Amino acid sequence: MTSRTLTLLVTAFFAIIVGIVFQQIHTSMHEQGIASGGPYDNAAAYPRAVAIVIAGLVIVQILMEILSGHQEKIGLEPQALKRAVGLLFVFALYLGCLQWLGYHLTTTPMVFAVMYICGARQIGKMLLAAIVMSFGFAFVFERFLNVVLPGGIFRLNIPW
Amino acid sequence: MKLLRSMRTVVAAAAIVTLSAGASVAEFPERTIELIHPWGPGNAMSVSQLIAKAMGEELGVDMPVISTPGAAGTKGQKTAMSRPADGYTVFDGYVAPLVLQPILGNADWTYSDFKPLHSAVSNAFAIGGRVDETRWSNFEEMMEYGKEHPGELRYSSGSRNNLPHMVIAKVLQSYGVVAQNIPYTQDGNAVKDLKSGVLDFSFINVGNYIQDKPAFNIMLVLSELPGAKASYDGAPSIADLDIDLGLSGLAPMGWTWWIVHEDTPDDVTEKLRTAMEAAMERPDVREAIAKVGFVPLEWDHTQYDEVVGPVLDQLSAMGNALKWEEEELKKLR
Amino acid sequence: MLFESLLAGFQLFLTPMAIGLTFIGILIGLLVGAMPGLGPLMGIILLLPVAIGLPPVAAMGFLIAIFVGGSCGGSISAILLRIPGTPLAAATLFDGYPMAQKGRAADAIGIAISSSAIGGLIGGVVLIAASPILAKFASGFAPPEYAMLAVTGLFAIALISGGSLIKGLISGCFGLLLATIGTDEFSTGYRFTFGSHHMLNGFHIVAVVVGLFAISEMAHQIIGNDLLKKPDIKVERPGFGSLLKTLRHWGNLLRSSGIGVFFGALPGAGGVISSFSAYAIAKAAAKPGEKYGEGAEGGVVATESANNATVGGTLVPSLALGIPGDASSAMLLGALLILGFVPGPILFEQEPQFVGGIFLVYMASNIFLLIAGILATPFFVYVLRIPKFYLIPIILILCSIGTFALQASVFDLMVMFGFGLVGILFRATNYPLAPIVIGIILGPILENNLRRALLISREGYWIFLDRPVSATLVCVNVLLISGALVYAFRTRRKVFARREEA
Repeated sequence: MTSRTLTLLVTAFFAIIVGIVFQQIHTSMHEQGIASGGPYDNAAAYPRAVAIVIAGLVIVQILMEILSGHQEKIGLEPQALKRAVGLLFVFALYLGCLQWLGYHLTTTPMVFAVMYICGARQIGKMLLAAIVMSFGFAFVFERFLNVVLPGGIFRLNIPW
Repeated sequence: MKLLRSMRTVVAAAAIVTLSAGASVAEFPERTIELIHPWGPGNAMSVSQLIAKAMGEELGVDMPVISTPGAAGTKGQKTAMSRPADGYTVFDGYVAPLVLQPILGNADWTYSDFKPLHSAVSNAFAIGGRVDETRWSNFEEMMEYGKEHPGELRYSSGSRNNLPHMVIAKVLQSYGVVAQNIPYTQDGNAVKDLKSGVLDFSFINVGNYIQDKPAFNIMLVLSELPGAKASYDGAPSIADLDIDLGLSGLAPMGWTWWIVHEDTPDDVTEKLRTAMEAAMERPDVREAIAKVGFVPLEWDHTQYDEVVGPVLDQLSAMGNALKWEEEELKKLR
Repeated sequence: MLFESLLAGFQLFLTPMAIGLTFIGILIGLLVGAMPGLGPLMGIILLLPVAIGLPPVAAMGFLIAIFVGGSCGGSISAILLRIPGTPLAAATLFDGYPMAQKGRAADAIGIAISSSAIGGLIGGVVLIAASPILAKFASGFAPPEYAMLAVTGLFAIALISGGSLIKGLISGCFGLLLATIGTDEFSTGYRFTFGSHHMLNGFHIVAVVVGLFAISEMAHQIIGNDLLKKPDIKVERPGFGSLLKTLRHWGNLLRSSGIGVFFGALPGAGGVISSFSAYAIAKAAAKPGEKYGEGAEGGVVATESANNATVGGTLVPSLALGIPGDASSAMLLGALLILGFVPGPILFEQEPQFVGGIFLVYMASNIFLLIAGILATPFFVYVLRIPKFYLIPIILILCSIGTFALQASVFDLMVMFGFGLVGILFRATNYPLAPIVIGIILGPILENNLRRALLISREGYWIFLDRPVSATLVCVNVLLISGALVYAFRTRRKVFARREEA
């Protein structure tokens, strides 16, 4: 991967953002009748202005990068990249299942998996740590701060 | 060895979880109940926290208040509706999301889609100006000024298309006065700009009024109830006007009626009703509510339809006031 | 009158309960502040039900202490983990984290806590001495002034964006755009909500901040190689010496606290704007030797003294006018009313001893913050010695619960994760993250007050020049813009000249 690939990626990101702004102004906001008129009714003018500024700045930034002709290689070992992707995947999976299975069923496996990705292999110790962490924090937040953690379809809520 | 020990912990934890899951069928409530409040942090939220605390004490569990502001209260209502109907979620059913937004076409429910627990509080509004105002000294004079200067007056009802806006627009329409509403995020800021002369008049709630009585000229209390008039030290109310606005009871006021999901089991609903009724009867609770400038209400769930029904009818009947104001403002531009 | 009310307040304050609860409030505040997600506002909301059953001064001491402690606590995680515990600490990151990287973690925390306490005390002196005057001044600020002030605030973005000005501006504008998501309060229309009720109030700023900073930081940490080892970090003994180190920056302290009080006293501005502005100005005024952004003590002093002075500042309009300075003080006002005290001018006349009591608990909580904070620093710093494979999952759980607790919403967790990915992309491409935070805060202030001012105005844009304070701010902004353009042009020419030489 080079810095140019990343530049392309971030440019695409901003292009999508700016695109969404204009798309929404012309569809949703237009239908709601809030895309024109004075300051009382026109909700589109300000986001449109900001989006145009972003587009302008991004173009300037790209031109500067092209003019400088600067390009560097980003050295990231495959192992490290794998760990990062693994972490994000596990965390996304965790958040995705949270609503469905509830906090108590999902947190211990998530912690365990993250430790495993980190390279820990002492299964017993990891399991214990995972349980202590997930239930310990649940206890503190539910008991003392009255937070009701997601119970999932099984409605698993511990009345501490 | 280590593994064995940790396995035992897992089993123990699993046992606790299953036990508690089994127990939930037997006894309600066995855990924290959440109240979904449709506004951001402020006085209304504090009042809800106050009642929730007392109600939680009656039930023997904690009742935290979750603030979910957005889209004139509809975000909170939708959030609460998406929760399971198990009695662990109570809605703070403010008039705006419950009755007004459906009338304005922004929501597809009606008040009768929910089971009422008990009425909570109401909050009267008034139209107020500055005491050092030279152009007029009372409401009628201000209306005369407004008629001579169409589109000149600047006022705030808090936010656009909220209940005070609807009522004020109705009053202005009755006098044929076109004025510009300026929305504010926090109602304290509208009062501040009224005091510093940026606005010509503003909606003032009892809380704003008691903070600095000498600063306001309360020109019109937007309620015909004697209690509301008394909160503003006898200022003129809509009952004293020559015209009939067609508003009575709770219709021109802010209020909340705590409700639960329609499918909530009857025994659970009954427990919640009993607890809320007991909480609302407590003198310490009533006193604390009154201190914030809200009025504790006494209607129980059996009176839900007869109290909320007329509000719906009256507000529906005046729905065109907001449209009228918008169109008149456009004509002036 | 002032002295008498303070003296009378002593009787109410000097009870074991009031003093004890103020101290406990500081500890709770430091904790909710340091944990990603929860902050002072959530701390106050969660503990308000406890407080309203207490004697008034003890109750207010408890809540104000949570506010004070919570406004400082975020700096601890910012310094140690490069994760601002609250949006307030997003600017403390700039120099706090580099300091910790250089082995000065305890020092950095000590300075952050001392600056917070001193900033808070300065805020308190202003609160006690000038409440009515300052409140009167602040209430003269109307929509045109706010709009112009927000424009000035945008310059802070340029000043703090370090490496690349343009990238900083893009990040800032991205923040401005994010702030438009949700219900538009003027047209009451929905913007960028895509038909989802979760989006009706936009993204919760805390979910965005936790995602941007914490999730991306965890991904960054896991790339490292020392995940299983107990980090071998020598931690020097912290102590009250950091108080002296802080006092050496007295000019910066006074200036930043002044900025903090000013923005605190303006309802709706708040701590994030204070800390960013104070940092930007401190950086602009720095001596050549001080390397801001690489671990300069002054950076930590500026942001932390400013955001805690803001607490004192917000209490000014809250107590003197009954207008909450921000969401946290709105909750404090609610508590005051329930306890039977009506904030506003009347409070000062009718309940001088209670007002005195509030002033005292506020001052005491800042002193307690200093004591508790410095004594607890070794425990905080211990975090650095936890092996990463434990620390990463702990932080992930804390982020998840802390963000969930804001509105009991799983959607907020999705937002957090999404912004985690955005944070990773921005970091990889050297786009600064902090301007996004200030953009989100300034966005609604700018847009809404601009539109509000135009609605109020009967002659269009002239309203900005008709009002003296607004006109002054317009001039300041014009000067700043032209100054920035001239500066940018000159450096550009220098760069090209240098390149030609080479």
